[in-house]
Amino acid sequence: MDADELSALPTEGSWKRSNRIRTTSLNPRYAYTNPSPATTRAESPFRPPGTTADITHSDVPTILAPTPRRHLLESSASQHWLNTPPLSPLTSSRALSPQSASTATAFSFPFPQSSSSSSAHVSSTASNALHTNTHSVRRRISSHRRSFSMLFERDQGQGVPGSPGERVVGGSAHKGHEPDERAMGRRWIRWMHKRGLKAWVVPGILVVSLLVKLAVGLGSYSGQNTPPMYGDYEAQRHWMELTVHLPLNQWYTYDLPYWGLDYPPLTAYVSWICGIVGHWINPAWVALDKSRGIESAESKVFMRMSVVVTDALVYVPALLMFCRTWQGSRSKRTQELALLTLILQPALLLIDFGHFQYNSVMLGFTLLAMSLFATGQDLLGAFFFVLSLGFKQMALYYAPAVGSYLIAKCLYLGPTDGARLFVRLALVTASTFILLFLPWLPPFASFSAILQPVTRIFPFARGLFEDKVANFWCASNVMFKWKAWASSGALVKLSTLLTALGFLPAVVGLVRSGIKMQVLVKKKTESTAHAAENKDPAPFLPLLPYALLTSSMSFFLFSFQVHEKTILLPLMPVTLLLSGAPIDSAVYSWGALINNVAVFR
Amino acid sequence: MTKEQDGSPQTLKKTPSSNSLRPSASSVFYDSWFRWDVLSSEWDVLWLSTILKLLLFPSYRSTDFEVHRNWLAITHTLPISKWYYDTTSEWTLDYPPFFAYFEKLMSVPASLIDPKIVDLNNLNYGAWSVVAYQRSTVIITELVLGVVLLKGSIEPPIQRIISASIFLHPGFLIVDHIHFQYNGFMYGILLWSILLARNSNKLASGVLFAVLLNFKHIYMYLAPAYFVYLLRSFCLSSTGQVHVKNFLSLANAVIAVFVVSLGPFALMGQIPQLLSRLFPFTRGLNHAYWAPNFWALVTAADRVLLKYAQLTGANIVINDSGVASTSRGLVGDTVFAVLPNVKPIHTFIVTVALQAVWLVKLWTNPSYKSFLTALTLSGWTSFLFGWHVHEKAVLLVLIPLSLLAAERQAYFRTFVLASVAGVFSLFPLIFTPAESIIKVVYSTVWIAAVYIPLSRRVYEYPNSISLVVMDAVEKVYLAGFPLLLMFVSVFPLSGGKSTVNSASTSMETCLSTDGFSCPEPQTGLAQDSLSAAPMEFLPLMMTSIYCAIGLVWSFLRLGFIYLQEESKYQGQLSEIK
Repeated sequence: MDADELSALPTEGSWKRSNRIRTTSLNPRYAYTNPSPATTRAESPFRPPGTTADITHSDVPTILAPTPRRHLLESSASQHWLNTPPLSPLTSSRALSPQSASTATAFSFPFPQSSSSSSAHVSSTASNALHTNTHSVRRRISSHRRSFSMLFERDQGQGVPGSPGERVVGGSAHKGHEPDERAMGRRWIRWMHKRGLKAWVVPGILVVSLLVKLAVGLGSYSGQNTPPMYGDYEAQRHWMELTVHLPLNQWYTYDLPYWGLDYPPLTAYVSWICGIVGHWINPAWVALDKSRGIESAESKVFMRMSVVVTDALVYVPALLMFCRTWQGSRSKRTQELALLTLILQPALLLIDFGHFQYNSVMLGFTLLAMSLFATGQDLLGAFFFVLSLGFKQMALYYAPAVGSYLIAKCLYLGPTDGARLFVRLALVTASTFILLFLPWLPPFASFSAILQPVTRIFPFARGLFEDKVANFWCASNVMFKWKAWASSGALVKLSTLLTALGFLPAVVGLVRSGIKMQVLVKKKTESTAHAAENKDPAPFLPLLPYALLTSSMSFFLFSFQVHEKTILLPLMPVTLLLSGAPIDSAVYSWGALINNVAVFR
Repeated sequence: MTKEQDGSPQTLKKTPSSNSLRPSASSVFYDSWFRWDVLSSEWDVLWLSTILKLLLFPSYRSTDFEVHRNWLAITHTLPISKWYYDTTSEWTLDYPPFFAYFEKLMSVPASLIDPKIVDLNNLNYGAWSVVAYQRSTVIITELVLGVVLLKGSIEPPIQRIISASIFLHPGFLIVDHIHFQYNGFMYGILLWSILLARNSNKLASGVLFAVLLNFKHIYMYLAPAYFVYLLRSFCLSSTGQVHVKNFLSLANAVIAVFVVSLGPFALMGQIPQLLSRLFPFTRGLNHAYWAPNFWALVTAADRVLLKYAQLTGANIVINDSGVASTSRGLVGDTVFAVLPNVKPIHTFIVTVALQAVWLVKLWTNPSYKSFLTALTLSGWTSFLFGWHVHEKAVLLVLIPLSLLAAERQAYFRTFVLASVAGVFSLFPLIFTPAESIIKVVYSTVWIAAVYIPLSRRVYEYPNSISLVVMDAVEKVYLAGFPLLLMFVSVFPLSGGKSTVNSASTSMETCLSTDGFSCPEPQTGLAQDSLSAAPMEFLPLMMTSIYCAIGLVWSFLRLGFIYLQEESKYQGQLSEIK
């Protein structure tokens, strides 16, 4: 068609332009601003019945662009961020999709005041679908809209403030540039995709993050040039030195005042391996006692590289796996964006690569456990979570959540399968612990030897909190002089009580959902479900990050002897949630806020 | 560019409805690229690079840092008449006057931030305040480069990749942000001048280049091309008649620039002193670490011949001082053992003769693209054949060459070869372990980020046997760099600990800021290295020679393209008159 012909049909040109804009809006963000299917349908009275292309008006578009199917899928898909199966033809039938789309646009994460009506609607939809449709449909609808508040709503038919986001409100409202940077990442990934450079996105992210880590590592570390004790850097280096040179039974007893080893055995083993490598390169770096406070440029590079390498061995693969499993139903771009967000989490970068620690190993093991739970390999997941515990006892902050998830899963599977899984989990967990602590256990050591690591790992003799920790005790210490009021023992009890209260909702929620689901499963035909379910993740799996957040945050806020670096633990689930959330959702803003506040601590 | 801009709405209207999808999709891309991608992606590059540069604050810094701090102190505390006479520090002022004025300007905020920075006797001051201040001045003045590239990158998207690649050039990261210099700022002025030449504002282009010369005299390497281009295309008409008005305005403007710069010193009668500072002709042929140029290859050939003569007892006259020079490794003056010695006049003749070739070509074809190529070749000739060239001068080649990279496959391959070799040759500037890892990772990311998007756009199938062979050999050469890197990084480990230390001190012997002004290497060092292992300079020598091979080859490549194919092939740059 020539330009002349086209000028005869001006409306078609304008239609084409509008259509063109629509087809470009495949990114989920644009899908929000797009009219929902309902409003599109409302335009339909403009269109005379039986419209054909030969009717031309100047102001009324002759051909109403049908809202592409993709939009419905996109707008709903962007909300259910967790592992949902791809939409089957059955579920995207006419009867279902508009509903799901409209609820999805109104549905924001668990803030009851905004979503109580719509989410109640969802739950009724879910229960309807449960009885009418097949098993897979039930799982799809119910699983990707799960939150703690949803659980309560379904039970009681009203909104209950149970959102984990509300509990973590603390600190001033810093408005950082996080959304901006995120948009930057989005833009870059989009650009790469458009240029046909898709395959280079993930390698690019990895290499750039490596560059950032190395550049952060150029700066000073904690305790540089501050004899006699130096800082965390020296502690880690000292552990390499003593694990290389001393027999196992002295690891937890040697010269305790100078940075005695106070992490579980896996840290010691890792230090040992690093120490061996260091000793091989330059024995002076890890010479026993003589190397204390060594700060040569080469040894610094070696130590920095040890963090980078352990991070690359554990945390980076864990992140890759997380993005592939937990974000499996999302687009490639979203997965890449999630990876970018997670890998450049500023607090972890600063603490591990600037301040100097190996937190990423512990977090990486927990992440691996989460991903394995999501793929249904609970035993392997439990194994990795024990490794995480065995690397740093701080992972105990996650233990209530992980434990209650596994228990809930056992309950959910019913008496026979559940019991079997429970026994297996117990066996795996116990044997892993035994394996880790083997050198301090009877055949290799005396009975009392196990006390050496244990007393070092759980030091109740230190104070209630360290210098400048932004937790509850610190904040309230301004008003109540806790240390003056109560004895150390009483404070321990009080903090334990408060901590337990803090993570109780998460535990109860998970276990409760386990029981509820079990009932539902029983109502179903029992023939197909069980064998399949054992391999699949539990339907309440999406609650796990929230539970992790609640539990670790309550530990951080209320527990005894908290170090400010432990903010990393609640930060991880927040960032996980953030990585999956669309940019204008509540979870996203909470995640950005908390991340920023945490960095400026 | 303007043609493209006008074109896109038309294609939109003309698009037939039947196959509207593809053209309109591309124009959508064009629109969106124009609407929001321009600014935000530019901001992205700026923010990300700035964050990285900020993180590099505590990194290793060469004595150039102290050199510049000392200049701040000189210009702040002393009257202008003593600037070029002061010898309080060994790092005397040896840049042209505009740079001294520039330092004077920067010393004012410095004195407010921390008066100790501008204290003349406070040598080797290394407090956090001075580090942060000087490093941030580098970042801020580099914005000149960023702005110029922003203005210049209104080309099709491919040009934006080039612009980003220049702004993020690892040469700048290594030399400016780790080693410490103000090259980003200088090259900003150079590119601004080139941009003005492209926009047919040749008078301003010439004036800016004169200004640049008065900032840093190493840009004299490029001056012949500028001179010929401006003379031919601005002062003469296409038929050869003189535009008197143009000629006079250009001459007056350039003279005015030099008067502003040198005038005060001329009035004080200091010009001879100033020139002796700027051009200290007391150096050897090669720099302490051989710059990867032609003379490095000649020196290496001399070493090989010497070994051959010593082993076989061939009847060759051997210069004894040349033998000593061999054992001294790379430090000090270069005296050949077998080959005839090279004098400054020889290098001068070779340089001028080769430059004349490009300049004659430029005279016959004074287009923008021809100018750009001649400019690159002119700098390249000086770099390869000049007397006592510093390895940092390789940026004079790489930056103008980047502008040509997207033109076609031949240019692109030349650019890749020269960039890899040139950037690699800068690596020995940074020898501290932590920064070494960063320089390698960053350069790898950079070359990948440039190569991957660009290579598919300019790719041409090699259509003759010789081209296929050449292509293969070049790929093998490029593949050698990772091996060389491994060798260079592993060799010191196997050779013992002393190697690293003495190699690093040898790098510190010359702390000059450009190709001309290298303070004398410490005399004690030659003795040190005499006693050290004979092979200790092997990694540096290997780096130098291997990079020299690539740079000489790509120089020949570009020269061949310029002379043979320039007129036949019409690329996007050819449209600019």
